[in-house]
Amino acid sequence: MMQPTSEAGAVPLTSLSPGSRARVAHLGERIDAVQRERLLAYGVSPGAVLTLLRQRPMTVVLADEVELALESAVARQIRVQPC
Amino acid sequence: MSTCHQNALACGTAATTADSAAILLLGHPNVGKSVLFHRLTGAYVQVSNYPGTTVEVSRAPARFDPTAMLLDTPGILTLPAHSEDEQATVHALLCEPVRSIVQVGDAKHLKRILALTALLAELGVPMALALNMHDEAAARGIAIDLHKLGEALAMPVLATVATRNEGVAELTRALSQSRAPRPLLRYDEATEEAIAGLAAWIARAAPHERLLPRGLAVLWLGGDSVIERWLHQRLGERFAEGRAMLDAAQAHGITPARLARERARAAEALAGRVLTRAATQSPALSHRAGQWVVHRFWSLPILFAVLYAVYLFVGVFGAGTLVDLLEENLFQGLLNPAVTDFVQAYAPYAWLSDLLVGQYGLWTMGMTYALALILPIVTTFFIAFSLLEDCGYFARLSVLANRAFALLGLNGRAVLPMVLGLGCVTMATLSTRILHTRRERLITTFLMALAIPCSAQLGVVLGLLGGFSFQVVLIWLAAMAAVLLFSGTIAARFVPGRRIPLVTELPPMRLPLLGNVIKKTAARLQWYLVEVIPLFLLGTFIMFVLDRLGVLPAIIRAGEPLVSGWLGLPKEASAAFVMGFLRRDFGATGLFAMGARLDPVQAVVGMVTITLFVPCIASVMTIIKEHGLKIAAAIIGVITPFAFLVGGTLNWLLRTMGNL
Repeated sequence: MMQPTSEAGAVPLTSLSPGSRARVAHLGERIDAVQRERLLAYGVSPGAVLTLLRQRPMTVVLADEVELALESAVARQIRVQPC
Repeated sequence: MSTCHQNALACGTAATTADSAAILLLGHPNVGKSVLFHRLTGAYVQVSNYPGTTVEVSRAPARFDPTAMLLDTPGILTLPAHSEDEQATVHALLCEPVRSIVQVGDAKHLKRILALTALLAELGVPMALALNMHDEAAARGIAIDLHKLGEALAMPVLATVATRNEGVAELTRALSQSRAPRPLLRYDEATEEAIAGLAAWIARAAPHERLLPRGLAVLWLGGDSVIERWLHQRLGERFAEGRAMLDAAQAHGITPARLARERARAAEALAGRVLTRAATQSPALSHRAGQWVVHRFWSLPILFAVLYAVYLFVGVFGAGTLVDLLEENLFQGLLNPAVTDFVQAYAPYAWLSDLLVGQYGLWTMGMTYALALILPIVTTFFIAFSLLEDCGYFARLSVLANRAFALLGLNGRAVLPMVLGLGCVTMATLSTRILHTRRERLITTFLMALAIPCSAQLGVVLGLLGGFSFQVVLIWLAAMAAVLLFSGTIAARFVPGRRIPLVTELPPMRLPLLGNVIKKTAARLQWYLVEVIPLFLLGTFIMFVLDRLGVLPAIIRAGEPLVSGWLGLPKEASAAFVMGFLRRDFGATGLFAMGARLDPVQAVVGMVTITLFVPCIASVMTIIKEHGLKIAAAIIGVITPFAFLVGGTLNWLLRTMGNL
């Protein structure tokens, strides 16, 4: 179920190290509308838990068994709380 | 196959199968709809381990029910539909005589599946749900209570593994009992009010024969442009009433995102009730392999190793060993002398024997090129291509290519059409529909027409250049990469619009199934031979006529300053360029046949020029169909002089730097 999320302690997705897990706090305002919809469709929404697989050459996360590659322009905008 | 013209949405004018009821296979990208389609109809459509293989609706009669047509639709990641392939799916939903929907989902992603079910269930069409790739979900410790889920949705829910035909028989049985499912959720009060208002208006103004007004209202409130166009076309001016209601709702915060959020919440709640997850095991080998190929250090050596393996298999084994065997031993050694003797003994006229077995003879040039040179090359290429495609490597290339593609104004997603272009540029031009903006489509189409060689051509390039050394192949590759980067950078400046950053799914790496690889290779070969043999024969015939009329010698003389002076090739190479107008691979084969008379520099310059040279007629037709005559003419107008410019520059560079 959805957990209450807050800005406190939230960091950009790009600052996590591979192997760590984090909960999405919010998707930044500057993400393109089309990309936001795609992210939501893949289950990257506030409250979702992501596992970070790698940061280079690009941010790759595991979201609910889906491996997603995110360009840094998008990944930087996603704020997460490490858990 | 039929084509859905997005602009001509009006149903009825589109190709529909009015007589038989349609069963729609529908679901997210890359979940196995096309494999299931093949199982249920026997008709073969290309299937691959990456999203976006199907960009058009395909149809075939169902095996289990002769009164029904089965429709395979392009995958939809989200509704509202954004890319053209997704819109084709919504179009099918609106315009086909849909009797039932089979939603196909990847069992690993139940939440996502149900979020889509929540939309489809509102349409009031009988449904069944196939949870495909059930084996992969089980391997990840995911267990789904099918019975409980079926009860909750009030529709048949089945576990399938389409590639192994598991659960498919049960699915066909269940289809006869498919019924309109129970809606998955009630939206919040204010949203429900807006939906009800809009639904009532649709019911009055433009009721749909099969789909419930409520379902259409939910889709429209969700921002779907296909529904909007459909309503607009049916209603003309009265459309404004509904549009005003929609605007009012959105002004009160009933936004597409809000509806999507509620559906996601309901889907998550339901998934939570039926899904149990065992403790996850250590990551499977396939998962680790998937990580290595996008690893920051290992990815490049792996890419290089893959390229080298393809070169060895296609360039050395296919274009070398096999071609030698077929061309030198079988055709030049045995068949051609026999056929020539036979024809010369019995042909009543000299021109007839010339037409059949002369320099531009239908047998000695047309059939020999098609069967002895091209066939072994494309066979090995298609085998290698199918293997890489099915293991999921291509989709992962988008991660590696993203940075370079950013320079071209594209994102890594465009790597898929480009790699497909190595199979056939014509098909790949269609598959640019998976890209999100017209800008991306235009740039990709242009670059493919310019610098992506198709399979036969690539094989010929590998064969001819590989005959010298791998280094010569690398020079060709570097020239292509440089041209791609240079022209792409310029195209990105000229084509208006902005670049969209990459967000893409990476399908898991899988061991390719031998059966699928064989089936795919056979289907591609069959398609290739059916297309290539008549064209090679026609091409040979045209060359023969041009030669007889004295036009060809004139062209060769006229082309001499360009071909011999500027490109530094023997003057007969002009003939290859004339052939290249018909098909690039035909031209490349012409150069290949001259092989022994070329030095390494001439070979690489010739191949670079002919690779860049005009795309084949079939792909020009596709570009016209997709983008119009003007753009097609502009593309060709740029490409042809550019090809010679690059070829000549390369010739000068290589000659100045010394020999190879």
